Amino acid sequence: MTAAALFQSILASLPEIVVVTGACILLILGQLVRKGQQQFLVWASIAVVLIAALGTLMLAGEVRPAYSGMFVADRFAVFFKVVFYLVTVLTFLLSRKYAETEGIGSSEYYVLLLLTLSGMMIMASATDLLSIYVGLELMVLCTYVLTGFLRQQPRSNEAALKYVILGGVSTGIFLYGVSLIYGLTGTTQLDRMAATVTGDPLDPGLLLAVVFIVAGLVFKVGAVPFHMWVPDVYEGAPTTITAFMSVGPKAAGFAVVLRVFLNPLVAASNVWIIVAVIAAVTMALGSFVALVQDNFKRLLAYSSIAHAGFAMFGVAAGGADGVASVMLYLLIYAFMNLGIFGIVIMMRNGDFSGEVIEDYAGFAKSHRGLALLMLLYLFSLAGIPPTAGFFAKFYVLVALVERGFVMLAVIAVLLSAVAAYFYIRIVMVIYMREPEGAFDPALTPAVGATLAFTAAGTIGIGLFPAWFLRLAQHAAVGG
Amino acid sequence: MTIPLLGLIVFTPAVGAAALMFVRNDDVVRWMALGVTVLDFVLCIAMLGGFDTSTHEMQFTETRPWVPALGITYTLGIDGISAPFVFLTALLGWISVLASWVAIDRKVKEFMVSLLAMQALMLGVFCALDLFLFYVFWEAMLIPMYLIIGVWGGDGRVYAAFKFFLYTLAGSLMFLIGIIMLYFHGGETFDIRTLMAQDLPFQVQSWLFFAFLIAFAVKVPMVPVHTWLPDAHVQAPTAGSIILAAVLLKMGAYGFLRFSLPMLPEATVHYSTLMLVLSAVAIVYGGLLALAQDDLKKLVAYSSISHMGLVTLGIFTLNLRGLEGGILQMFNHGVTTGALFLSVGLIYERTHTRSIADYGGLMKAAPVYTAFLALFTLSSMALPGTNSFVGELLVLSGAFAANLAVGAAAVLGALLGAAYLLRMYRKVALGPASIGVRFKIRDVNAREMAAILPLAVFVLWIGLYPKPFLEIIDASVKHLLAQVHGKGGAQ
Repeated sequence: MTAAALFQSILASLPEIVVVTGACILLILGQLVRKGQQQFLVWASIAVVLIAALGTLMLAGEVRPAYSGMFVADRFAVFFKVVFYLVTVLTFLLSRKYAETEGIGSSEYYVLLLLTLSGMMIMASATDLLSIYVGLELMVLCTYVLTGFLRQQPRSNEAALKYVILGGVSTGIFLYGVSLIYGLTGTTQLDRMAATVTGDPLDPGLLLAVVFIVAGLVFKVGAVPFHMWVPDVYEGAPTTITAFMSVGPKAAGFAVVLRVFLNPLVAASNVWIIVAVIAAVTMALGSFVALVQDNFKRLLAYSSIAHAGFAMFGVAAGGADGVASVMLYLLIYAFMNLGIFGIVIMMRNGDFSGEVIEDYAGFAKSHRGLALLMLLYLFSLAGIPPTAGFFAKFYVLVALVERGFVMLAVIAVLLSAVAAYFYIRIVMVIYMREPEGAFDPALTPAVGATLAFTAAGTIGIGLFPAWFLRLAQHAAVGG
Repeated sequence: MTIPLLGLIVFTPAVGAAALMFVRNDDVVRWMALGVTVLDFVLCIAMLGGFDTSTHEMQFTETRPWVPALGITYTLGIDGISAPFVFLTALLGWISVLASWVAIDRKVKEFMVSLLAMQALMLGVFCALDLFLFYVFWEAMLIPMYLIIGVWGGDGRVYAAFKFFLYTLAGSLMFLIGIIMLYFHGGETFDIRTLMAQDLPFQVQSWLFFAFLIAFAVKVPMVPVHTWLPDAHVQAPTAGSIILAAVLLKMGAYGFLRFSLPMLPEATVHYSTLMLVLSAVAIVYGGLLALAQDDLKKLVAYSSISHMGLVTLGIFTLNLRGLEGGILQMFNHGVTTGALFLSVGLIYERTHTRSIADYGGLMKAAPVYTAFLALFTLSSMALPGTNSFVGELLVLSGAFAANLAVGAAAVLGALLGAAYLLRMYRKVALGPASIGVRFKIRDVNAREMAAILPLAVFVLWIGLYPKPFLEIIDASVKHLLAQVHGKGGAQ
């Protein structure tokens, strides 16, 4: 590699380098910060993310392949990275007070989140199965630790252990698929794979390899049949981490899924049938099981499974609109899901856990504004216009019908009618019950800012989707 | 630059709702809500003043790009078919506020915000000329209506609110798929006027016809997807019932008129017999159910099913008299049933019972009230001289021209209507004063009079001189018929 090529490579991956370096510096600095001054860590972490974001946007002008085809900084990657930055910054803002309440506000917490971010960024940019693997592992290893961060609580430990074991198995499956691909095609680069295959793309060996890779990735996005970890991990992990995982790593998983599926090799095989089945079953399971949940976090876990299913429909649709619809869906989902999680995090104050849905009975009576925000997020999650959640679903359906998958679209809407039930059930609890006790939400300025921002996104994208749609469409066609 | 009158009409209540959120005092909230709805009504009258009855073209159109990448625009406009319902919605807006003046005593602000939001969305539905925009208005209505039923309703309100929400949502979602299919088959546009000019293959038309039918049938409601209506009506507060009966139910029929007939003419003609039969079933079945009710609101709710059956019957006769009668009957049903629910609400506020058995001899206690009740009951029965007579006569003559058996069923429905309404009136107003009303009942006061009198005026006005109303719809209905038969073959 020449010096010029190396320079180009470093330039292309500058944001990742910034985040990793920042994380390392914070790890050292964190040891020097005295107790009670952890505010500094939050702002420093946010600063690191913002610098990286600035770098990403400044480099966004052109496509920059790097590291001999292992990595690329293109519009597709930029779109996802912006989503990741957004999610991470909002998680930091939500974390301050919560981490203090739970006693987990040490520097490692913030450093691990930054490292997770770098893993997700590598995933979004990776164009080789091995660099995908590196990013994936970096991301999940950090989330394993973060899941178990409430080390006093058995629930959190159990979740982390489950996550590690199941995650390890799925990574193994993924790697096995990669090794099969390498054996059959002699390369792990996504672009070259298709070119080297001369024979039938429906070769059983290749199909097997693709299925293994898909299985590994499906685990990360929490789709059926690799969804079992989701409810336990979401329930056991610190709520801030749950909020983060439900949008960030999930979006990263979808970024990889889309990149792999944009590949002509995979597109030629009939994998879309598998994806369509996965999508339908995932959505059905998420929606139906969520109906009977009493725990708010568990309900949101199943809701996130259902949403992963809906986004999967976009993957099944394929084509430029299919890809763009998934991307837009993930962006919108980040806003509304972080919003509703922000409320749950805010309710955690003193002895009040705010994890049971019944805890919210009559919330609208004393806190009109916050209840209205919840209403907004919940109706958006249910996909009722004029919220952004509706437009996200609408665009996926457009992509499906465009490709002729009308039956899939019908299945998708019928299942989202089921899903609507449990969201409006929460609305019912907050608006139509009498309060049993007083509420004392920990509404710090940081949490308030997060809620205001997510609410603005949820309603703003719903009313004026044109700009965001164009962004997703430009990013989806690549280059 | 001209004033975007329709945009003003649609968004005035929305702005009012947003402004109300910052008001603390309940009385100020009430007066502000009344002010906003009256202003909206005045704007609406100004609009009707400039309405040209000689053309079927869309009027007062305004358009702006919204989501250019998908061909979605913000386009509003009205013709003779939508104009009466814009007016009806605006009229019932302030009547609903008056009806909730004292009946809603907790969370007044939230109620008025929901009511105004509802008003804006309903007006939007009737004005939208872009399918996507239409769907956004159509579906967003679920949110305020769910709250109105669920928060301020009766004892079984939560169940009723869920039932309403899920039924309507499930119906609408098929409609959404239909819209997207129409988008791709109709040249990637959501513009309603362009889509009307498309000539779709019959296969596609049939598919879309049933996708639309599910959504519209739930809203109308047609048998067998009517079961949400009695629950929603019984549990909803008075204003909620008025809005449901007077405006929401019209949207299903409006959907048929705006989409199914002009866009899917061949399928409409092909399946019109099925629709006539379904309508006839609704007329008779709704009437029979109403006959068996003891609850006043339930009785009116089931009578609504019967009357809306008459409306869809008129529409699917696909002849001029039937269609004009159907549309006039939609308007009439809005006025009359809205008034009946208002009357039931007024008496319920005094006695807190809706059971017919508890009433009797109301005429002596509250003569003015009973006189109004008599007028609306007679109007609901379509007595000559009242508004419904004109509409029903037109529908029946259209129905007999289209199908003898269905016409006979409609007449049977009218007979049943006379039976259950007269029975209701006799038990409530006549006879000896019974237990429930032995305590002194105050007659209507000035506020209630202000709410009920305009409706009575319309009952008599349309009944005695329907010409101006029929003139508004005439050109558009003729054009609609040309659209249906021009492409769907002569019937």
